[in-house]
Amino acid sequence: MNDLLRIDKLTRTFGGLVAVNNVSFSVQDGEIFGLIGPNGAGKTTLFNLITGLTPVTSGQQYYQQRETTRLKPHQIAGLGIARTFQNIRLFGNLSALDNVMVAQHLHTHAGIVAGIIGTPGVRQEEKRVRERAMTLLERVNLADRWDQKARNFAYGDQRRLEIARALALQPKLLLLDEPGAGMNPNEKAALSGFIRQIRADFNLTIVLIEHNVPMVMGLCDRIAVLNFGQLIAMGEPAQVQRDPAVIEAYLGD
Amino acid sequence: MQSFVDTYGFLIVTMTLQAMLALSLYLPLMAGQLSLATPGFFALGGFVSAVMSTQVFPEVPAGELFPLPYVFLEMGIAAVLCAIVAVIVGFPALRLRGIYLALATIAFVEVVRVVALNLPITGQAVGIFGIPQPFEDNFEYITISLPMLLIAMFFVYRLERSRVGRAFAALREDELAAAAMGIAPTRYKVLAFVMGAVLAGIVGALNAHLLNTWNTRQGTFDAAILTLAFVIIGGSRTFLGPVMGGLLLTALPEVLRAVAGIDGLPPIVAQFLTEGRLIIYGLLIAFGTLFFPQGLISPDIFRRRKKPELETAVTKAEAVS
Repeated sequence: MNDLLRIDKLTRTFGGLVAVNNVSFSVQDGEIFGLIGPNGAGKTTLFNLITGLTPVTSGQQYYQQRETTRLKPHQIAGLGIARTFQNIRLFGNLSALDNVMVAQHLHTHAGIVAGIIGTPGVRQEEKRVRERAMTLLERVNLADRWDQKARNFAYGDQRRLEIARALALQPKLLLLDEPGAGMNPNEKAALSGFIRQIRADFNLTIVLIEHNVPMVMGLCDRIAVLNFGQLIAMGEPAQVQRDPAVIEAYLGD
Repeated sequence: MQSFVDTYGFLIVTMTLQAMLALSLYLPLMAGQLSLATPGFFALGGFVSAVMSTQVFPEVPAGELFPLPYVFLEMGIAAVLCAIVAVIVGFPALRLRGIYLALATIAFVEVVRVVALNLPITGQAVGIFGIPQPFEDNFEYITISLPMLLIAMFFVYRLERSRVGRAFAALREDELAAAAMGIAPTRYKVLAFVMGAVLAGIVGALNAHLLNTWNTRQGTFDAAILTLAFVIIGGSRTFLGPVMGGLLLTALPEVLRAVAGIDGLPPIVAQFLTEGRLIIYGLLIAFGTLFFPQGLISPDIFRRRKKPELETAVTKAEAVS
């Protein structure tokens, strides 16, 4: 198995608080990797470190054997790592279609002058980008509302639109930050199916943060458990579920 | 007709120039950057053409017009100089956000003014007089300024619908999310800032000829606020907003003067209408933002109606190849 993502002794402190403390693990090509832990365990901070939104205090991270520790967010996105956000960050005043078109930035090349003149090449590129965006919207069942502003969408629809936007980046690694937040058990089950389906269709490796234990157990190939910034357990779901440290972190003494 | 042109020719040309200045403030705003540097680059462009036409180019014999190609050359040089200065100023300044960027760019406007006030080449406090005229009549400037405005409008209209424009819009909405989608924030912010600076510089270069004189009273803090008012009142979400704001608000003092001339108005009201221009702009900004938060022009007039097609097997194959 190949490591797609490897993080090595990654640490991030905010003042006196150690949000992520000496965490090491690797994510293998093609797996669905779950990141769980109580509130404030450092899961989202870890996502922010991997995507470069928060600078690393110490430690290293590698993507496809290439060090990415000091790269900027847009450079990391360019390597093929896309994400969604826990507190949805869509481009609210842009249409659903534009949200997905924007994310194809790295796969298009029109410069200012060509874009303004509208050369045949640029027109073809625009058409391609637009149709690709529609296809992705169709995929998340939002194609009918392509021209509505993102901020007018219901919460669950915004979550799906964010996934469509992330897919437009054509990533190899997709980070989903609580994709099932605010969903009922039925919706969560449907989401699990959807995540498996996009992994297969887009050839993805997926890391996801999720609180709901049944969903994580059923969906993930492997799980890492964080508590107070530290990695306390890692392994296959059944194995992690029996781990005394995990039981203690979740249930207390 | 001739008397209308005599009276209002200068005003109409100024309206088109001010509309372009509003666009130059709108350009960085497209990428979410509230920059008030426009008057600084406007002043810089004006000094370029004032210095070149009075001190560099050969003197034009009395009774002859200043050659137009020289004017275009000055506009080109002003554009290049403003672009260079904008890159130098933009990289550090655009690390600031929101109101802090606005303050830094106002400081830039002041720096330009103080430098011009102290350099001998810009005529210090006196300024530069007797800038030669390429036209017989002020109104003829419209033959340059109107096409310029139309080109600038076309430029921004197309830009908003292009890949670069989408990157600007994403930055305006959420810089962090845009970066996570692969858009390089600094690069596009500086690009938007430079485009605004170039437009302001070109307008300044032409305006110096129109005014016949150029000094440090051009391009001040007041002008920055006025240009901002054009954008806020006109509407900051489509390029038509700033253009309308620039045209209408530049004409406003003349309209007010005409209204003040109506017989039977109490003298104090007439005086307020003619001399309280800045107060009226201030009130317009305050009430405009309250009652028309989007400005006069809403971007909905450009909404696409037709649903785009899905990818077909053919286009998918093209995308892969």
